[in-house]
Amino acid sequence: MSVLGRRGAIELRALTASSNLSASTLRPFSVLNRPPPNYPGHVPLTTIERGALALGSAIGSLINPRRADLIAALGEATATPFFIYRLRDAMLSDPTGRRILRDRPRITSETLNMTHLRTLPENSVGRTYAKWLDREGVSPDTRDNVQYIDNEECAYVMQRYRECHDFYHAVTGLPIFVEGELALKALEFLNTLLPMTGLSLFAFVRMKPAEKERFLTLHLPWAIRSGLGSKELINVYWEEVLEKDVDELRAELNIERPPDLREIRKMIRQQQKREKERQQQASN
Amino acid sequence: MRPISRAVLRPYVCPTCRHGISAGRRRFGSKSDSPDLYDVVCVGGGPAGLGLLAALRASPITSKLKVALIESQDLRKAKAWDLEPNQFSNRVSSLTPSTVSFLRSIGAYDHLDVNRVQDYQDMQVWDGQTGSRISFDWSMETSPFEDMRTVATMTENANLVRALLRRIADLGDENLSLFSNATVASIENGSDLKPEGPDLSAWPVLTVKPTGPAAETETPKRIAARLLVGADGINSPVRSFADIPTQGWDYGRHGVVATLALDEPATPPFPASKRTAYQRFLPALGGPIALLPLPDNHATLVWSTTPENAAYLKSLPTPAFLAMVNAAFRLDMTDLTYMMGMQSSSSDSTSHQDELTWRAQHTPLPSQIPPAATAVQAGTVASFPLRFRHAAQYISPRIALVGDAAHVIHPLAGQGLNLGLADVASLSKTIQYAVSHGMDIGDLLTLERYSSERYLPNAKIGGACDLLHKMYNVPGEGPVALARSLGLGVVDRLPFVKSFLMKNAEGY
Repeated sequence: MSVLGRRGAIELRALTASSNLSASTLRPFSVLNRPPPNYPGHVPLTTIERGALALGSAIGSLINPRRADLIAALGEATATPFFIYRLRDAMLSDPTGRRILRDRPRITSETLNMTHLRTLPENSVGRTYAKWLDREGVSPDTRDNVQYIDNEECAYVMQRYRECHDFYHAVTGLPIFVEGELALKALEFLNTLLPMTGLSLFAFVRMKPAEKERFLTLHLPWAIRSGLGSKELINVYWEEVLEKDVDELRAELNIERPPDLREIRKMIRQQQKREKERQQQASN
Repeated sequence: MRPISRAVLRPYVCPTCRHGISAGRRRFGSKSDSPDLYDVVCVGGGPAGLGLLAALRASPITSKLKVALIESQDLRKAKAWDLEPNQFSNRVSSLTPSTVSFLRSIGAYDHLDVNRVQDYQDMQVWDGQTGSRISFDWSMETSPFEDMRTVATMTENANLVRALLRRIADLGDENLSLFSNATVASIENGSDLKPEGPDLSAWPVLTVKPTGPAAETETPKRIAARLLVGADGINSPVRSFADIPTQGWDYGRHGVVATLALDEPATPPFPASKRTAYQRFLPALGGPIALLPLPDNHATLVWSTTPENAAYLKSLPTPAFLAMVNAAFRLDMTDLTYMMGMQSSSSDSTSHQDELTWRAQHTPLPSQIPPAATAVQAGTVASFPLRFRHAAQYISPRIALVGDAAHVIHPLAGQGLNLGLADVASLSKTIQYAVSHGMDIGDLLTLERYSSERYLPNAKIGGACDLLHKMYNVPGEGPVALARSLGLGVVDRLPFVKSFLMKNAEGY
């Protein structure tokens, strides 16, 4: 009697309980019944799928570091459970970060008027950014949309991080080949704690011995110094600081300017050329 | 222990016999400097002091004792206390069923204005950091076809005090002296009045001085107490006279209280009379926030938080304060910490509400959140410091401490007043036993029973509240957060453990 009665009570309570299931709560599911996406472009994954994605994309991107899509997938697959929430909370603890989360600005060549950026005063953040894009020959439109992060707000945080990445490049002046990318990833790892940025450091094994030595003596110490001492880079409202002086911004964020890698490479190349010419002259 | 002449600490010989030997005859009150003699003198007219008086007067065994009560406030005002039906005082307490049955047994509960009293049958408690939750109701003990059993009863302290005063008035004023508007100017050991009078050298003698307008005209009165009861709060003068030390610490937290009007619940309660109390622990802000039901969709707020946060909350304009209260039951610690520091000016008093509306869209809300608070009753936002104190002992020759004079605990379980009234119940029983067995009611051996009955339960509840406070003040997702959410989950799923805990909290 009492057992029956108790079950009756549970059912009654279940009936009266509010059926207010929010869309962002994900219950366990299988490959066969995938729940509806939480935001346009969202692909809900099970834990096993997520793990496989992380492993596959990690191996793939180590084999070919130019596969930006694999690096992006690795970033999304490893951002949960903890890290992306920490990054979001870092944004929520800061007035500017909150404003970014509220406005949800996107960085594309449409939202940023490139011709206008090129007219900004010399040494402004916007001009530096445009110059960097031109120098590296990249465009802000090449960023993939986030698809594997379940929480819709965290997905935006990931998107924002990805789109701001070029600004970090511009402010630090680091180029997009592996050496510069690794230096920046080391800085980002200490700054954002996203696991992907840390995992990217494994690409160290692909570098040439001279590059390795340069990285260990020059750029890694710089990344550690700046990464630990700087403010949260995610909380910079880039769209609003375009006209600011870039040195001023660096001082504000407490980031030093690293040695310019392209300059170093140029100097080394010239040195090698001179060496070669000298040898040729000597042999002649 | 206070110094008492050695003669009194000798093996007990009743005063009559001693007088029989020395003087042959007893003469009382013949000299002007001899104090009035009372059996029980209670200092402090709060719920505990008045409860003791009502309990003594209501029992046929002790109703003939000559009793006095000294209270610095005006008891006539307290007796005539009245508020509009939809207005509620911000000093509200929860009474557990065992406290209610004690109040019924002394006949005071019938004098309570029942329209201002609210039972609740369910209590939802959850952790704002980890989201783990527990619900307290008696469903594991009752069948679903019975009425749900009450977890606790909310009543304004003023309503309870008025009920006790009415009950005392009902019981007549024979052998009763109420010194209202009076303070205790001094307490000292009496003197040996032999051969004219009794040996009062171990009796506390109080000098009662009227305050207010009567202070000039009336002369201080001296009264001697066979048993002096200290129900005079945390800074008890009786306790310091008895030279009883206390242990304890300040929590460095303030409790912010307010009377709120709530929205209609989204889903009507089932059954219709069911009411729920809500408590959410906010480790990042220094303590729990609780919303306890009052009649007619009102609720009383108790928010334990740091003094800075308390000052900030009190400084907020009403809409911002309401937004903070609603946010505290809904948003994440990060958002709450941020909102606690938001600059608020009267010009943009909507910024807190904005922030809440925006964040509520992105925060998964649990199913047990309370209805939104819609209004604050004017003038009810106040705060008080939270402390832990426990007297080293409750008794001393001819002295007993009850209520806050003996113990002050963290209010997170709503147990303070219940422990005080349980003290009173125990002490009045002890006095009844002594009277019916011809014992001296002030004797240490008599009072021992009260002390041994109450010391451990009070220490247990006070310690449990202290432990909970400390556990739920560790911010972040560390091992402590993990352990406490695991513990909460286990207790919630094991009915017998939960019912054991609830029975302990209810003093069964």
